[in-house]
Amino acid sequence: MNKLIHVKDFSRPGGQLTEIDPAELMPLPPPYDKMEKAPIRQLTDEQRKRMDASLDGIVAIGLTPPATPEEEKAFIEKFLAGLEKLFTVENNWTFLLPLVHTLDYCVKCQVCSDACPTYEASGHQEIYRPTMRPEILRRIISTYIKKENSLLRKFKDSDIDLNWQTLARLAELAYRCTLCRRCAQVCLLGCDNALISREIRKIFSQQMGIAPKEIHEKGSVQQLKVGSSTGMTPAALRNVLEFAEEEIEEKTGRKIKIPVDKKGADMLLIHNAGEFLAWPENLEAFAITLDAAGVDWTISSEITGYDSVNYGVWYDDFQFARVAIRQSQVAKNLGVRKISLGECGHAHKAGIVIADRVLTGDLNIPRESILPLLEDIVLSGKIKLDPSRNNFPVTLHDPCNMVRLMGIVKPQRRILEKICPQFREMTPQGVENYCCGGGSGFAITQSTNFPDWRSAVSGRMKLKQILDAFQDIPGAEIKKYVCAPCSNCKGQFRDMFEYYGVWKKSGILYGGLVELIVNAMVDIEKPFIQWEWH
Amino acid sequence: MGTLIIYLTYVAYAFIVAVYAFKVTKWLAMPPHIRWDLYPVIHEKHYHYGGSYYEQQEWWTKPRPKNRWRSLLYSLKDNLYMGQYYKSNPLYWLFLLPWHLGFILIITFHILCFFAATAMLGGLDIGAASGQLAGVAFYYLLLVTGGIAFVTGTFGSIGMGIIRLADRSLRKYSMPMNFFNYLFFLVVYGSGLFAWLVLDPTLDEYRAYWLGLITLSPPVLHPMTLLHIILFDIFLIYLPFTRSTHYITRILAYFFIRWDDEPNQPGSKMEGKINTLLAQNVSWEGPHIATGKTWVEVAIEPGFPDAKKDNKG
Repeated sequence: MNKLIHVKDFSRPGGQLTEIDPAELMPLPPPYDKMEKAPIRQLTDEQRKRMDASLDGIVAIGLTPPATPEEEKAFIEKFLAGLEKLFTVENNWTFLLPLVHTLDYCVKCQVCSDACPTYEASGHQEIYRPTMRPEILRRIISTYIKKENSLLRKFKDSDIDLNWQTLARLAELAYRCTLCRRCAQVCLLGCDNALISREIRKIFSQQMGIAPKEIHEKGSVQQLKVGSSTGMTPAALRNVLEFAEEEIEEKTGRKIKIPVDKKGADMLLIHNAGEFLAWPENLEAFAITLDAAGVDWTISSEITGYDSVNYGVWYDDFQFARVAIRQSQVAKNLGVRKISLGECGHAHKAGIVIADRVLTGDLNIPRESILPLLEDIVLSGKIKLDPSRNNFPVTLHDPCNMVRLMGIVKPQRRILEKICPQFREMTPQGVENYCCGGGSGFAITQSTNFPDWRSAVSGRMKLKQILDAFQDIPGAEIKKYVCAPCSNCKGQFRDMFEYYGVWKKSGILYGGLVELIVNAMVDIEKPFIQWEWH
Repeated sequence: MGTLIIYLTYVAYAFIVAVYAFKVTKWLAMPPHIRWDLYPVIHEKHYHYGGSYYEQQEWWTKPRPKNRWRSLLYSLKDNLYMGQYYKSNPLYWLFLLPWHLGFILIITFHILCFFAATAMLGGLDIGAASGQLAGVAFYYLLLVTGGIAFVTGTFGSIGMGIIRLADRSLRKYSMPMNFFNYLFFLVVYGSGLFAWLVLDPTLDEYRAYWLGLITLSPPVLHPMTLLHIILFDIFLIYLPFTRSTHYITRILAYFFIRWDDEPNQPGSKMEGKINTLLAQNVSWEGPHIATGKTWVEVAIEPGFPDAKKDNKG
């Protein structure tokens, strides 16, 4: 039944368009083939009244239905005004060309559908096709913006009824794409249907002030206001760093002072602040490694300067630019020579690549990934490493933003090949990797049953890949490590592994790259990696 | 009638060239966009695994060689082979490839006819039994390109219609225009195929027709050949109304979007263009955006609601 959905059904008033049927999901290898609970929690009646779930019963935004026809009309008009702005140079020079190209030249050949892990893992849910969102948008443009002749619209099958329900479903649907851009990679016509998801999100945010709370209000707004999307203030950061220094001493016997606001340092290192709270061992491992290698670096304690995240990259050009500009201002004030991004995929893409054409003049401070420096430290022999300390099965997850969208493929592999004797690749890997399922803000979106959806559907393909990589040693008795040099991906793995009981059933732990380096350091007595689920 | 066809042909060619040129110019005139590169980037040294210059420490201090020829060959090969379709849906590819070959070869055939006619004016005798090597070469070249164009175009037009109907996921996203196109193109190619196989196996009439075009003296042609030529002229006029410009724009999209990895250097031309764009007023109305201010003014504001109120005040 899910396969029979047509674009026109999006305008159907009331009712849920489709339901995620566990029986239709892409099968997982045993013992995950038989889930003991229903994969996705149902919403309560109260939640359904309050939040629109008429797309697939899942809520990322949860729009409240309009109370009157006038409200509905105003909502539609505002959306259409935003849609028009999307095609003007002054409002959308940032993505005008790729947007117009995709809308004009996609021939709906569906090659991209096979490349989409969400569509594939969902058991080919029609609504998740990468071509679905652009098709809805194209029809709205044809009917309500260009106001094409009705005969022409029939010839081009570009009619659509526009009501509140259509837009509520479209808004939710824009948050069922992880922006991994695998679809764009296989498109022979150079179209990018993932970008359309982002541009739809942009209309809702920049024109209507609608975005998931975790991404906007508690995300980019909070980062600009208090310093970090985690809510961590500069004062709290100082406490976190003190705690990390104590832990380093406890774990390694080394007294390391993490440099903060060091004027004129060679490098400003910006971590994803989520690490500080959820995985402080990553921050500690960086401090140990850079200290041992004699790198001249610093962390900033200025607002926005100690959190590399930039959620705007997923939904809002201005929120993106605000964060990028402030991060550069912090570096400029410190007088550092360069900015280096820690283990966070989207922060890499946002800070190094996308900010490139927003930062001008003296704000255009050189920015790079930390991975080539880590590679140099490991391969040059600056620190003594013993690979036998990492003698357990390790596989590598390629964060989409860092790999497919930036081309940083080999440094992390050369490190693992040097220090992890049992390193093995996933299939496919490198620029053809699959998203963790938490991309584009999903990993931080905790709204109602959305976390269930991202574990059961958008992350399903990645889980299968990980299990397949360890298929020769499936049991929990052999401990295994998924190296994920990205905070968001780790957040997704934490939730997804918990959801499926992966640690208990398969003994698979996830963690960063730098932790493996410290774990292999010969002059640190105790193993740095602690094989505990967290 | 003959004179009318000559005019129609000139109008058709002028129209398609003008509209294609307009569309491509419009595409190229779009403002620079935020970098949105996608790997592998074929001009990169490590393109074979998708590597970029970001794999190096302090990449901005290193040379960034670009192999543009490799990129061009890659995109042209893609135009002719369409390997991703073969990998993803071989049956679709089986019809799509000949359909596209039909387009490419029928245009090539007519361009070759023009050159052949020009050479004939210069005294070249074109035919299988011509005493001149160039004449024999032209004869077989025209026969091969024309013949293959008619056969693959006819086969592809039938096949595309069938596969669009038979494949559920293609059928659902097909529009009446798709089927009109298949039918119309089938008539164009089919008429050419019939005229060639039944009436004009040496394609002599096309050379005569092009000679007439150049000398503005209408030739006497078989009505079936004439019908095909009229249909082909209409085909040329109709093409720009379809998505056919993708033969060109897809290559542009590769070069100017997917493989655009040129960093913005301080003081560069790109920086100048961006500064102009940043100085434009925006009209977004979200609560975190001050409508009417310039792009850069909005970007340097804090953006949270309290701050916006303060700014307005």
